[in-house]
Amino acid sequence: MGVYVIALKMLIGNRGKFYAMVFGVALTSLIITQQSSIFLGLMSRTVGFIFDTPQPDLWVMDPKVQFVDDVKPLQDTKLFQVRGVEGVEWAVPLYKGALRARLPNGTFQTCNVIGLDDATLVAGPPTMIDGSLADLRRADGVIVDEAGANGKLAKPGATPTSPRVPLRVGDVLELNDNRAVVVGIARATRTFQSQPVIYTTYSRAMRFAPRERKLLSFILAKVRSGYSSRDVALQINRQTGLAAYTAPQFKGLTIRYFMRNTGIPINFGMAVGLGFLVGVAIVGQTFFSFIVDNMRYLGILKAMGANNRLLFHMILLQTVLVGIVGSGLGMGIAALTSILAKNSELAFYLPWQVPVVTVLATSLITLITTVASLRKVFSLEPGIVFRG
Amino acid sequence: MNRFYILPIAAIVGIVFVIRTVIAGSVPPPVAAPVVEPAQPPYPIFVAGSGIIESISENISIASPLPGVIKSVYVKAGDHVATDQPLFSLDDRDVIAEIQVRQAQVEKAQAALEDAKTQLGIYKNVSDTRAITKGELLKRESNLAVASAGVTEAQALLGAAKTTLDRMTVRAPIDGDVLQSRARVGEFAPAQVLTSPLMVVGNVTPLAVRVDIDENDAWRVQPGTRATAILRGNSAVSFPLTFVKFEPYVIPKRSLTGESFERVDTRVLQVVFSFDKGALPIYVGQLVDVFIETSAALK
Repeated sequence: MGVYVIALKMLIGNRGKFYAMVFGVALTSLIITQQSSIFLGLMSRTVGFIFDTPQPDLWVMDPKVQFVDDVKPLQDTKLFQVRGVEGVEWAVPLYKGALRARLPNGTFQTCNVIGLDDATLVAGPPTMIDGSLADLRRADGVIVDEAGANGKLAKPGATPTSPRVPLRVGDVLELNDNRAVVVGIARATRTFQSQPVIYTTYSRAMRFAPRERKLLSFILAKVRSGYSSRDVALQINRQTGLAAYTAPQFKGLTIRYFMRNTGIPINFGMAVGLGFLVGVAIVGQTFFSFIVDNMRYLGILKAMGANNRLLFHMILLQTVLVGIVGSGLGMGIAALTSILAKNSELAFYLPWQVPVVTVLATSLITLITTVASLRKVFSLEPGIVFRG
Repeated sequence: MNRFYILPIAAIVGIVFVIRTVIAGSVPPPVAAPVVEPAQPPYPIFVAGSGIIESISENISIASPLPGVIKSVYVKAGDHVATDQPLFSLDDRDVIAEIQVRQAQVEKAQAALEDAKTQLGIYKNVSDTRAITKGELLKRESNLAVASAGVTEAQALLGAAKTTLDRMTVRAPIDGDVLQSRARVGEFAPAQVLTSPLMVVGNVTPLAVRVDIDENDAWRVQPGTRATAILRGNSAVSFPLTFVKFEPYVIPKRSLTGESFERVDTRVLQVVFSFDKGALPIYVGQLVDVFIETSAALK
């Protein structure tokens, strides 16, 4: 037991090297955690709308749709064809499109407009902050998301220098030259393009949208109990020629599109890789020179009869301690930034897999470091102590 | 306190932050409940369509047989009317004036007839045949025939004017309800097909539902099958439908974009069902979701 206390004292005694090693591991785990969380945050924003809309089991759309914002409108009667498929409990229309809102100061802002089925208002926003979903029944009513109401759609202040006033219930917007009255404020997942989200009814969205022959973006369908989503999706495809996806399939489709067609994965991948290399470089070098510094003590221990196995355990204790403290600090700083930046545009999503991967990466760094130092220690001649 | 503990404690705090963030991020967002539950089909295998409520007699757009300014309206929307009950009438002053003229003309013709009769009587009563020629007698006789025809003509003209007067009052063609009334006193009623009719009359017991079925699904519907309609806005209100007929001609469904040019979206088969309204809060012109049962062989 005593040797482990010696190992700890050896580590802490050399304060400069100890701090440098902890700093190196912390930096690596900070970079890995933060960059992967931001990457996942951005990716989850691309599917934020699917995430916010858990009510349907199936999303029915044109088979050529590539991702959630790639809307290829359908004929209105397709809704009834989908309703007539065996195993479909209900099916409702959904409009999704980007429309221009004109602000009081004359600027234009493109908004994501979601048109919900008039009768049922299925697929409404997850959390209402002000007003209720049923208020959409009021004439010209729209529900605006919180981020949009406080940010891009906020009204100008009374004087040019005063701060902008958030949009509130009762305010009037101009959507594509149509009047729209804000009847509610909702909290929705931020969109990838950070556009404000406006919820309204399907028929009102038809009125706001530019004139087109076909405007039905998606059909949301619920599967009857006793039927499997997969079978019903196949049946919808056979009977109507449309594609039907479950929410995970549709999310996968969207994320695959972004992975394949944008530079996001490669940019973040490189940042994570560089973070890892920096960690290996700093920690490896520092630890190596730390071992070299302490070679005399290790030599004494060896001369006193400590075998290689015991020395390996001592070194492992030192590296694991550095690894735990460093990664705890690094991941903690990453998590703290996300808590502090909670209501900003920062896309940060930290699932449990990210800390696990970070710990694995830091373990790898520690392992590389340990193995590199062990060679030196194992080949150490106990006589070195006496050579002065 | 030993300075050694600062870093490990900071690390533990950091791990707590991580756990907090992971837990906060893994909570799924609350699910917004629909304001009204969507309509659910009552049959295992079915064809769906949207239906519009109409009267069983189909909605009759009342036309005015003559153009004119509306003088009075006798009924209002929602009233029950019997066959031939007056609905509204047009300004008839000119026709009444004409009737008076025609009346006078009838009297004049009758006076002329009396005169011709008297003349002929006088000539016939002359006993000395040398006093008048045969030709003079014949002339008096034909005068009488002309005067008699003149009376008939004047009476026919009077009758025509009276018919015109009668046509200026528009009457209910059937027993039914006034579903809509746009006829207002003082407005001009043209005698032609109007996009917004002056008055709509229909028989609402029982009511009918006209269902649009996409042409791709049309083959799956069989005559005489069961069907259920579900009210929009309250899926708890559903009612069974009785098959009435297929409209034999498949019509183009129009995609109503509000533009002056409307384009054909698809063609739809119209199926008419009837149902008893009872105490249900249903109105003519309302849209309903309709599910029509079909057999497994037709899926």
